[in-house]
Formats: sequence, structure tokens, C-alpha cells
Amino acid sequence: MSTEGSKYPGLRPLPPDFVRDYPPLALVVEEKCIACDRCPPLCFFDALVMENRPHHKFKRTAFVLHDNCTGCGLCFEACPVDAFVWEPDKSIGKGPSKAAEKTERDLGV
Amino acid sequence: MSLKTSFLGLTIDSPVLIASGPASHDVNQVRLAEEQNAGAIVLKTACSDKFAHMRSWPRPRYKLLDWDKQIEGRSKTFSLYSYEQGYSGTLADYWEFIGACKKHAAIPVVGSIFADDAEDWIDMAKRVEQCGADAIELDISSPHRPGSLAFETTFVAAITGVVGAVTIPVLVKLGPGPEVLPQCLIAQENGASAVTLCNRLRGFDVDIESQRPILHGYFAGIGGPWAKYYTMRHVAEAARTITIPISATGGVLSGEDVIKYILLGASTVQILSVIMVNGWDSVKRINGEIEEYMQRKGLQSLEEIRGKALNAMTPPDEIVRWSGESKQGPRNFWKEGFEE
Repeated sequence: MSTEGSKYPGLRPLPPDFVRDYPPLALVVEEKCIACDRCPPLCFFDALVMENRPHHKFKRTAFVLHDNCTGCGLCFEACPVDAFVWEPDKSIGKGPSKAAEKTERDLGV
Repeated sequence: MSLKTSFLGLTIDSPVLIASGPASHDVNQVRLAEEQNAGAIVLKTACSDKFAHMRSWPRPRYKLLDWDKQIEGRSKTFSLYSYEQGYSGTLADYWEFIGACKKHAAIPVVGSIFADDAEDWIDMAKRVEQCGADAIELDISSPHRPGSLAFETTFVAAITGVVGAVTIPVLVKLGPGPEVLPQCLIAQENGASAVTLCNRLRGFDVDIESQRPILHGYFAGIGGPWAKYYTMRHVAEAARTITIPISATGGVLSGEDVIKYILLGASTVQILSVIMVNGWDSVKRINGEIEEYMQRKGLQSLEEIRGKALNAMTPPDEIVRWSGESKQGPRNFWKEGFEE
């Protein structure tokens, strides 16, 4: 689908094409990231951190923790340079999930 | 001077509560809310097993429309468009979640539930109480709820059933219209301890390039700072009529908004989307702004101004009006030079 000139250039208004087969996860395109620190505080699921990248122009980039990412799309909103893309989460297995998997939570805080 | 507020028989440290949603979905967030001196936290709504599909969420499901995208907590404009539905775990997880919240944080925890049959509402409410929640909010007005459930039948039965089954306070969260005041009165008559006004609206947006609805392709919840003016009217209308406390929610960005809701008679104010765009620090900042106002106005407690603006409301027939026509008479003539 073309999203050229769309009102929503970053997130793209529609889910990625592979969403019928795999759940989407956010992925940072490190070359595009400008280390502005905008996305980690926006993430409600503790899935975004800043990581050191000694060879990167800005020495740091945002990084998505796959285990925490719920594919909600808020980080796409935060990004001023559209450095996010979707990637299929193949760890869950093919087919849309019928019910949320029970996840282990750390209740120790 | 103190922000301490009495609400539902509890004394809470701040009138600012965290509303039910993605900021109240895990135990660590409850701890965060406490560190930020939030008064209490309303947990993410758990759905009955009949609505188990609402525990799985579409991806993506959030869109910040018309966002001014400021940094360091300075965003003032946005609309939150989303379709995140219920708590993502099972009911057993939710009971455990409430217990863990009570174990790891000292702030009051309000459980939030959604169901259709009165028996489900009652069973869930009893479990919420057993797990140690300080109060329970009945989320009968979610923008994502099935449209087939009517307030007059399903939800009134839920309110009466739950009120009769638990001893903890019962909050009823009502939608933003059209009949907010009549529903407040019904909630009060049926024994609700408080009402939460108002939930987000159900909205819709379309992308003109792909010519399809955005995100998941269906209606979504929509709210934002612009929505506070509708809610203020509903809060004012309700506060003049009902006697149970009101927890106002909708579009709060700053301490100023909280003070407005309190001047209109709200007991507490729930915030959420401001945390999303401006960070968790917003809670502390809002508390600070309220304190600054209290200092400037010489207030010891917010009780001194609660509902004060309601007393200053002018009934429509007493609004001062001046004639715009008496000087010249009706302006029914052509200006010279304009005539053919």
C-alpha cells in the first residue's frame, strides 16, 4: 500500500501487510535515529531504551526490547525523523493470536 | 496547606488520580504513581470471560492526532485515538495483579471491571473486593464496549447488583453523553458511592491516501485536551444536582485544569493521556501547580473552593443583556454606494 504523502508518514495509518500472519513489533532503523530521547519516556510498556553505539553519528540510538514491545505504535508517533518500521514477530508463531498468552511478571518490583 | 482530599471515605494525598488505562496495567506503574504522589490509581479494566477477545489488542492501536509534539512536558495539543481494550491477562492474573499492587504500593487501588450479565459483574466485583482493592469502578461506558448493551437494562442491573454485593465504595464511570445527568441520578439512586465523569468519546478517522479507516479499521476511543470543556459542563450539571462525589476525567493537562474541575464541584480528577504525551513527571508537576495556586489564593485545603464556581453561575434568564439595535434601529438598509 502506498503511504506517500499520507497525513501519517511515520506510523502509516494502516497496520503492516504481514499483520494477518505475524504480530508486528516496532524496530528502530538505527541509521535514521537522531538520539533525541523522545521515545523511551513515551513507551508505556518499558520496551524502549537508549543504547550506546560507539560508531553511530550520535553515539547512541533508541532500541526496542522485543519481549516488552506490544506493537501499540506510540513510538512511531514520538519520532521526529520516522526512524521506526514494523517487523514481524516470528517468535509467537504464525496466525493472529486468539487470546493473550499468559506472561510471567516480575512482581518483585 | 495540603492537597489532602477526602474521597470515598479515604484520605488521599492528592486529588489527582491515575485513570484506568495503559498507565495502570502493571505493578511497576502503581509504584511509579505512588512516587509521583498521585492520590490513587484506577487499574486497567478487566473484562469478563465472555469478552475474552478484548484482552488481545490490535497492533498498532494508538495514534496521537493533531499532536504539537513538544518535548520536556510542554505538549498542549493532541487527540489520543486508540483501541486498546481490556486488561491483557486472564481474570486470575487480574486478581493476582490487584493483590500485588496492594502489596507493593501504599496508595489506594481502585479495581475496574466490565461485563454484561449481572452475575458476572457481581462475581467479578466480589473478587476485586476480596483481593484488597480499596474501591471498584464499573466501566459501563468504554468507547470500545459492544453497542448492544443498554444503560437502562444491563448497566443499571450491574450497578444495583454490585452495590448490593460488596462493601467497598462503587464508582460508576459514565460516558460523555448524551444523557449524563439522568445517568448520574440513576447511579446515585441505585447506591453508587461516586460517579466518574466522563469516559472518552467513540470517534473515527480516515486516511485519504489509502482511502481506508486508519489503524485497525474500526471506530476508536478519542479524547484530548479539547474534550475537557464538554466534561466541565457535565461535571457542573451533575454537581448541582447529585450529592455523591464526582471524579472528573478528561483532557487534564495542568494544575489549572484540575482546579477548574474542583471549582465545578469535582472531588478528585483522573488523568492519563497527559502522562502519555508529557511523561510521568506530569503528576508531580500538576500537584505542584495546584499547590502554587493554593498558596497564591491563601487556601489551606481545596475544600474551600470545591464547587465555588457553581454558585457564581448565572441562570439563563438572569444573564445581563444589552440591546445592539436601539441606537440605529434594525440594519435593514443598503449602505450608500452599494446601491445599483
